[in-house]
Amino acid sequence: MTPHDSDEQHGFHRHGDNAFVAEFSESEREVLINLVEQIIELLAERTDNHVDDPLAAMVGITTHDTPPDDEVLLRLLPNAYADQVDAAEFRRYTESTLRAKKYAHSMSMRMGLKSAVDGIIEVDHDGANDWLGAMNDIRLALGVRLNVEQNSHDELELLAPDDPMRGVYAVYSWLGWLQESLIVALMDEGI
Amino acid sequence: MVKIDESTKVDSAVEAAIKEIFNGDKPWVTIVWDDPVNLMTYVTYVLMELFGYTREKAHELMMKVHTEGKAVVSTGSREEMEHDVARLHEYGLWATLQRGDQAL
Repeated sequence: MTPHDSDEQHGFHRHGDNAFVAEFSESEREVLINLVEQIIELLAERTDNHVDDPLAAMVGITTHDTPPDDEVLLRLLPNAYADQVDAAEFRRYTESTLRAKKYAHSMSMRMGLKSAVDGIIEVDHDGANDWLGAMNDIRLALGVRLNVEQNSHDELELLAPDDPMRGVYAVYSWLGWLQESLIVALMDEGI
Repeated sequence: MVKIDESTKVDSAVEAAIKEIFNGDKPWVTIVWDDPVNLMTYVTYVLMELFGYTREKAHELMMKVHTEGKAVVSTGSREEMEHDVARLHEYGLWATLQRGDQAL
């Protein structure tokens, strides 16, 4: 597991009843904005093309009944059933809602980062859940690219210094630590 | 001829079995699958948030997912399980639903 809550490191801390605060350096903030914007773009790419029926569009029925080809999108928008026919039917009626919710999590995180003064982020419980969902989506995306399914953490630690995946793995690990710090802060309230 | 008389006791177990036969809406389950990315604490936290489980129960389910590769996290009608799966997907957990009598 990733370490958390060392004094020298930042990360989220509880402030009072319903506030969770973190302070980011400018470079950390830029990395987070960059990552969350990539998730936003990725989700936006999978638009509901060819929705000719305005009623269907209004109630959130999408034309997508096949899973995304892109591996990352497939992990973010997975099948709900092992059975392909059931999975397609479920996707047709629910995928656009799921995308909208993920989009909202990421937009909330992006907004917080963009409006941060002196790198300080403060979120309430709902905002914290947005951050957790958005950070998790970023980690899922990076995890697919790092192939964490196949590669052990030991193998990933041993990536060559000039391997671009080494930097990706460092960001992935840092995000895990940041996510953990927020969960620990949230759990403190004894929910 | 078979008769139901006082000697035939319809006890609670029989009642439950009969109820299950008629209540076709009930036997569906939501399964969470192990995933190498999701943090153990995160899975616990999401189960507490979405289902209102105690920390102990959520932790127990998370450990089952972690050690056995999967766990049933909720049971109910098909519609209820579809709702649960959608919420779990919103938070990035790898979840599916199926009939409760299907092999996991």
